[in-house]
Amino acid sequence: MIDMRNLKKVYKTGSIEFEALKGVFLKIEKGEFVSLMGPSGSGKSTLMNIIGCLDTPTGGSYYLEGRDVSGLTFDQLSEVRNQKVGFVFQSFNLLPYATAYENVELPMLYNGKKAPERRQRVDELLTMVGLYDWRKHRPTELSGGQQQRVAIARALAMDPPILLADEPTGNLDSKSGEEILDLFTSLWKAGRTILMVTHDTKIAAYSQRTVHILDGKMEADI
Amino acid sequence: MIFIFFKNLFMDLYRQPLRTFLTLSGVVWGTFASVLLLAFGDGVSKSGKKSMHGMGEGIVIAWPGTTTISYKGITKGKAVRLTAEDVLLVKEKVPDILRISPEYIRSRRIRYNKEEYNNNIRGVNVEYQYMRNTIAQKGRFIDDPDVKNRRRVCFLGNTIAQNLFKDEDPLEKKVYVEGVPFMVVGVMVKKIQNSNYSGQRDEHCLFIPYTTFSTLYGQKYVSNVIIQPFPGQSVPVVANIREYLGNKIGFSPKDADALFIWDFTDLEKSLDIFFLAFNIFLGMIGSFTLMVGGVGVASIMLVVVEERLREIGVKLAVGAKRKQILRQFFSEALIIILMGGLIGFAFAALVLGVIPMEKIEDYVGHPQINVMVGIVTILILLAVGSIAGLMPARKAASTNPIEALRSR
Ligand SMILES: Nc1ncnc2c1ncn2[C@@H]1O[C@H](COP(=O)(O)OP(=O)(O)O)[C@@H](O)[C@H]1O
Ligand SMILES: [Mg+2]
Repeated sequence: MIDMRNLKKVYKTGSIEFEALKGVFLKIEKGEFVSLMGPSGSGKSTLMNIIGCLDTPTGGSYYLEGRDVSGLTFDQLSEVRNQKVGFVFQSFNLLPYATAYENVELPMLYNGKKAPERRQRVDELLTMVGLYDWRKHRPTELSGGQQQRVAIARALAMDPPILLADEPTGNLDSKSGEEILDLFTSLWKAGRTILMVTHDTKIAAYSQRTVHILDGKMEADI
Repeated sequence: MIFIFFKNLFMDLYRQPLRTFLTLSGVVWGTFASVLLLAFGDGVSKSGKKSMHGMGEGIVIAWPGTTTISYKGITKGKAVRLTAEDVLLVKEKVPDILRISPEYIRSRRIRYNKEEYNNNIRGVNVEYQYMRNTIAQKGRFIDDPDVKNRRRVCFLGNTIAQNLFKDEDPLEKKVYVEGVPFMVVGVMVKKIQNSNYSGQRDEHCLFIPYTTFSTLYGQKYVSNVIIQPFPGQSVPVVANIREYLGNKIGFSPKDADALFIWDFTDLEKSLDIFFLAFNIFLGMIGSFTLMVGGVGVASIMLVVVEERLREIGVKLAVGAKRKQILRQFFSEALIIILMGGLIGFAFAALVLGVIPMEKIEDYVGHPQINVMVGIVTILILLAVGSIAGLMPARKAASTNPIEALRSR
């Protein structure tokens, strides 16, 4: 599913260069539920953004479902983001002016899916995350946990094989966090591959495997 | 559905009324000014052409003059004289002439009851009315039997008719010209005419059969000739008339003063060009005003893109392509411009509807929003909107998703 070899990322800020990833090797098989752990500033988000094709590496190779994505154009990467990965952010990143329904519908609008198909899929996803009755509400009218569930429904809209979550419970109270993690568990049991960033071992315990990153380098799997 | 793409735009417009007002007002004012300028330009052109058509449409006027070139042994300085018979023969001998009429002009005292005026009498034939637009509003113009039988009938200009008859119906009444009675057969419809080639404007004149004129006043030679060539034929027709009459009466076809010609079709052409240039000039002023509004929209949209980076980031993250982002912000700018355009258009229509047209009609014609004004304004709006929309849209489309998502 994911195969990274010697992946590097150098940030350039003016004349200052900073190597955030110093040669990462990471392999994730289909159907795995993996936690990515590491201290703050170790490069977790940088790695997730590259996996999610929001950013591009400056060295090494990255194969997603057997396809080399390091040489893709901007629009090709958009297509990968649309169809291959669902991204869940710590800060939800919902459109504030759009309803829960419209937020979930968004990825399908960029894919040109027909209205009846979209409606069916959105209703199905909102029912799954338990927010069907809230479909006409805007994010500001929802609790943090509810917003994150809308975000998860949106990430799954195009039925991507892999779900990426960068500290998905970081902005939530523990009860809402647990609900999100239970949702991930059931998604994983239904066959979805999941990669989740956390710095909490209790949260990492939900997953099947944990990988550690330190100072831009992977540590041995536990 | 697609509405969601513009939802943020309308919420932005609604949430920031002052900014919306400032953004729109430039476009509203630009459109308003453009529409008014174009409408007035169109009105002025139309009334200019109309007032020229008051003298005639597609006609050539010829005045016999004095020779300035010796011809076939006759020394220069000879007066050229044309009889009505010469004039009517021209139509038979020279091709491509649609209509022709001799014209005799004199001033005479014209009286009805106690009202008396010293006005122009014009002796003409039947075809004159179609060339000179002396259309009957009441009764009829001079007809063939009138000419043939040298009848003492007359057709009145609308102003002299009004002055002589006040509220009375002039038809079948007798007016006296130097004591000779003429029966009124018709009154001319009011028309716009700012000047005339000789004598008074048609509204002050009294038209009678040329046969009656020449018999009554013993005048053999015509004052001038009105000719209507087939459309587009005025140049060869004029040359052929000079050739034919020169030969017959004795003057050189090259002698411009022997037969002085005034070609209205020429004048109309240059008038057309003048008014076209005039309207383009006004359109350009309007466009510049609108462009200033467009610059306003463009700069506000650039700020909007900056403010909405996070939205752009989210859309890119879920799979929006560059051209989809581009299209969204481009359409938003276009929507703002078209909205402003619509309001400006409505204001202009309102103002044109409120202006009392009767008071300005003689000067600027009847300014109105017609198809031409509408199409030109819409084209200018689209052009300005496209230019104003492209810059912010390209900025939006070149956003880096990671940086956009990090922005607050
Ligand atoms: N756009 C950037 N430009 C420069 N440095 C960056 C940028 N993004 C992240 N970094 C740096 O890279 C390192 C890793 O950041 P990040 O991946 O966000 O860490 P984590 O998510 O593990 O906290 C940090 O030291 C951070 O300052
Ligand atoms: Mg992070």
